[in-house]
Amino acid sequence: MTGIDIKIKRGSGELAILALLNQEPLHGYEISKRIAQVTGGVLQFNLASLYPLLYRMEKRGWVKGKWEEAQSGRQRRYYHLTPNGKKQLAPLRQEWSMFFQALHRIAGVAHAGS
Amino acid sequence: MSDEQESIKARLGKLGLGTRREEEILRELSEHLADHAAALEARGVVPDDAAREALDTVSNWLELRREILSAETEEANMNYRTKALWLPALCALTLSNGLVALMQIFGHPPDSYWLGTAGWSMKVLSAYIVPWLILQSVVGAIAAYWSRRAGGSVRYQLLAALAPAIALLGLFVVVIPISIMLNEHGASHIRLSAFLIVTVTWVLLPAVPLLIGAAPFLRRPQAQS
Repeated sequence: MTGIDIKIKRGSGELAILALLNQEPLHGYEISKRIAQVTGGVLQFNLASLYPLLYRMEKRGWVKGKWEEAQSGRQRRYYHLTPNGKKQLAPLRQEWSMFFQALHRIAGVAHAGS
Repeated sequence: MSDEQESIKARLGKLGLGTRREEEILRELSEHLADHAAALEARGVVPDDAAREALDTVSNWLELRREILSAETEEANMNYRTKALWLPALCALTLSNGLVALMQIFGHPPDSYWLGTAGWSMKVLSAYIVPWLILQSVVGAIAAYWSRRAGGSVRYQLLAALAPAIALLGLFVVVIPISIMLNEHGASHIRLSAFLIVTVTWVLLPAVPLLIGAAPFLRRPQAQS
């Protein structure tokens, strides 16, 4: 992510988190691990970049954190996608798709799906 | 509270979000770091080093504190700079000039004690100038404290406290010379010495009590980096 603007990282992080939580509720560490795994390390969120993002999304009502018992037996705060968050997913996907198409047209940058 | 949570709290400082929410955040962050440290240990890192390495993933705790506060108190149009600099600075400016206005309403017209046309009588000095200068320390203290409470850096706290002097410095150093240059007749009587006296009296002199008042509050905002 070096050199990529923080706002782009934040915006892409929102989409990544919403997409992951659309599959299943996850706690913070799992979210960061899953993002790094799925993107092959291109997108990486550590504690400092992940939690402010999660708290902001929670404030907006996109996700909801609940303390639940993890497989390890420890209580972890699992983030669930809310109906409001679900509604954000499609337009965000659309926005990013348009963004990459525009970049592709202007600079030959193709997104992963193309 | 666990050792990890205490360690995070020492770095993050008090967030002012309410005990319950703060404990929840500390607990969540400490769980994250514990997971990270456990993952490092699984790769062969010794526990102490793993815990330290996990903590070191946060390079700037003050920035994390700001980001959390910003997320938790998301106010669409009010960013960090507005809260930590512009509002306290505006408050200081209003208070400082409000006091001048009160002096003008209840006392002598300003030219009688600033420009020296009526002399610097002890009566004027003790009745207006000294109390005004003393009150500037209260203004400086309020601005610095406000800025710190809003998470402002020491630089922001200083700038907010000195706002009344800085605003007038801008006025005297930029606006007045330009107006003298542009208006040959109207302002030509203003001599350089008078201009310097006004600058010293309205900028440098009040800057001292503003700084003195702000000094006890100048520190990093309840957090360690």
